[in-house]
Amino acid sequence: MYNNNNNLHHQPQTSHTSISRSSDYSAGGSGDGEPSGAGNKWASRLLKECARAISDKDSSKIHHLLWMLNELSSPYGDCDQKLASYFLQALFCKATESGLRCFKTLTSVAEKSHSFDSARKLILKFQEVSPWTTFGHVAANGAILEALDGERKLHIIDISNTLCTQWPTLLEALATRNDDTPHLKLTVVVTANIVRSVMKEISQRMEKFARLMGVPFEFNVITGLNNIGELTKEALGVLEDEAVAVNCIGALRRVPVKERATVIRTFRSLGPKLVTVVEEEADFTSTRYEFVKCFEECLRFYTLYFEMLEECFAATSNEKLTLERECSRSIVRVLACDDDQDNNNNEGECERRERGKQWSKRLNESFSPVGFSDDVADDVKALLKRYKAGWAVAQPHQNETGLYLIWKEEPVVWVSAWKP
Amino acid sequence: MLETMAEESISNGFIKNPVTGSNPAVVAKKRNLPGTPDPEAEVIALSPKTLTATNRFLCEICGKGFQREQNLQLHRRGHNLPWKLKQRTTKEVRKRVYVCPEKTCVHHHPSRALGDLTGIKKHFYRKHGEKKWKCEKCSKRYAVQSDWKAHSKTCGTREYKCDCGTLFSRRDSFITHRAFCDALAEETARVNAASGMHSLAAENFNYQLMGNPLDTVMPFSTVFNPISSNDEAVDQTRRGFSLWMGQASQGYDSFGKSTLQEIHQFGSLNPGSIYGDPMVSTSNPPVSDYQLNWVFGNKVSSGNVEDHRLSSTSLPFSNVKENGPQLVSVPSLFSTQQQSHQTPAFSMSATALLQKAAQIGATSTDTAFLGSFGTKCSNSQVQDGNKHSDLYVSNTPSDLENSANGISTLNQLQMYPAKRRRMQNEDSGGGGGGGETRDFLGVGVQVICHPSSISGWK
Repeated sequence: MYNNNNNLHHQPQTSHTSISRSSDYSAGGSGDGEPSGAGNKWASRLLKECARAISDKDSSKIHHLLWMLNELSSPYGDCDQKLASYFLQALFCKATESGLRCFKTLTSVAEKSHSFDSARKLILKFQEVSPWTTFGHVAANGAILEALDGERKLHIIDISNTLCTQWPTLLEALATRNDDTPHLKLTVVVTANIVRSVMKEISQRMEKFARLMGVPFEFNVITGLNNIGELTKEALGVLEDEAVAVNCIGALRRVPVKERATVIRTFRSLGPKLVTVVEEEADFTSTRYEFVKCFEECLRFYTLYFEMLEECFAATSNEKLTLERECSRSIVRVLACDDDQDNNNNEGECERRERGKQWSKRLNESFSPVGFSDDVADDVKALLKRYKAGWAVAQPHQNETGLYLIWKEEPVVWVSAWKP
Repeated sequence: MLETMAEESISNGFIKNPVTGSNPAVVAKKRNLPGTPDPEAEVIALSPKTLTATNRFLCEICGKGFQREQNLQLHRRGHNLPWKLKQRTTKEVRKRVYVCPEKTCVHHHPSRALGDLTGIKKHFYRKHGEKKWKCEKCSKRYAVQSDWKAHSKTCGTREYKCDCGTLFSRRDSFITHRAFCDALAEETARVNAASGMHSLAAENFNYQLMGNPLDTVMPFSTVFNPISSNDEAVDQTRRGFSLWMGQASQGYDSFGKSTLQEIHQFGSLNPGSIYGDPMVSTSNPPVSDYQLNWVFGNKVSSGNVEDHRLSSTSLPFSNVKENGPQLVSVPSLFSTQQQSHQTPAFSMSATALLQKAAQIGATSTDTAFLGSFGTKCSNSQVQDGNKHSDLYVSNTPSDLENSANGISTLNQLQMYPAKRRRMQNEDSGGGGGGGETRDFLGVGVQVICHPSSISGWK
């Protein structure tokens, strides 16, 4: 039983040691520990079989499996039932080629019930019970503070949908760290439609909070951007005397695969002192033309995620339900939507994740990696101690960079820092 | 030993009598403020090397070094000295004050010398030294070992309280919450501090009366039994599915619709559902909270929500609701109070500000606390799930007992706000100095939130 407190024992992957992660370890696919013949993994079996049937275009088998899954699944049941339910939806859409329409419907429904208060409550609650997002925040903030130490004018370009929950602790650190507090300009680039509507409230809060902290502060929001690759210094208001940091949380995966290289070059053109990247550790990109493989990887990742939600939240939590529904949209998007379709209205809907190693390869074209200092690593470890057991930090293989958040011995989130 | 010190004090060229700019009133006080020394005192300027030397006190007989003078004296006894030499060799001890060797430091100047050798040593380490000691829990760093020890004792036991009444055991969650808390957003912290209770109430009024984004009124019984609504959804899904068996496109629509419906069932349960006292923390009103509904849902059916809300409030601000946002009028009543309250705050560091805001929140919302203790339904978003639960309601006798303790402690807190503030200042300014007194607070604050048995409901 993995226990964070006993992590000095035989468990090799602990927060106190750095681990070499071999590349096999990060390989997705069928090796997800499915016990053979065990009753408790029925969902995984059925779902994979159905995926294969769809790939083989075996009509009667497809019918049969979809029917079975429908009987057994439920979005309100246990993990297996939930996964069955949401993946069933995606399989169904794939089989009927109705993925895009389903996705749009799900999205518009979500947008209707979305408000500042609900979004705030959701994200704060999630951060309270799970380090999934705070891990990246703490590491990125630590790297930013160190890289921009001594600068008088900071400009952080935040490309994320975190609703600025990363920044209060940074503001506090800026205020207390030194005797003379620098000026901070924060430019948020919002890609998800659903987040746009609440940015006005967010900006008010951030400004007030910065005043409370005594940090000279300026806040801007960029919305209505179809393509991150279109960003320029002028558009972002980057001035010559500013020290720029680009902070990218879960944003690269929203860029269409073909455009990712361009986007990274765009970042380079902004002349940042530091670029921080946080992404979830899954590969839906290299397998995007192989349905079954992609499906299996998708199932592997979301199984972890759902199990994590199950463990961290209370059983009847509304927030958990909302997060699960968010996943359902991503799942439909990845599995049942054709990437080339409807290119113009992208708005960052892609959701095709890549692993840290893959992102590193791309980022190495324009940047070189910056390791996280011991202090930052300590901060991250201290963060994890504040949560329930099951979490750890790992440093990657020799040739790789960044830090991994480990859940139940699987890497789930990757954070890295880069300089030009 | 004394010769060395005397040498240094002369060689550094400082005048023996500090600048007469020192406030003469200081002399009259029994305890001087730090850094404003007795003008008659002898100024000693030790070099960094001496300051950081651990064995300053040397035995003149055998040359052995000791950290403390008492230890040296004890040792000297062992040399069997004749009585005369056992005495302290100075004729008369003049009060000594020490200056910091760091040129850029405020305490470098004799007029800001510190009166205590240990004090100047600690100051030197804290301000100008390397922070070698690190807390394991929160990775905060300290240069002085005793500071680190003191911090470690209380790290993690400290609770932070927001203006809105929510308690946190983690500093980072507290900070993040604070940035997004309604208590901050509605007015500046300054106004909030004094009129916390009233503005909160006014804000709640406004929020509720402005209407809800989703007007669908759901019978709350469905909230209790997710399973029943689950069946409904599954049925629809099934229906949709069986249609599909025959016709592909139609099946999709039904499927889509059922998803829509099931989402609506959950999405619509919210904004109006604030039961009980609006003085209570409602920083997150709109989300349907299972526990909340469970406790209060039976009393109120959706139709009567409005009436119930209004009748349960006992505030004299009946005018507020008619006029919409008019928070402005409320705080003016307390403006003088606020100013005296707040002036010290602005000279503090940001950490102190945060702490102060939390502390002020505690002391000024005391009345709200006490008044609505029985019907409180704040969402205390505290992690360490073992300690606190989502729903903060003292319904059971054991809870009431603890609440009573909480109330009396809160009373005490209210009576001693000055003391508490000073402790927090010390903490933020000088390291772990205020550590010992924190138990008093820690005990009082922690006791309030009792893990309610409600979390056992499934």
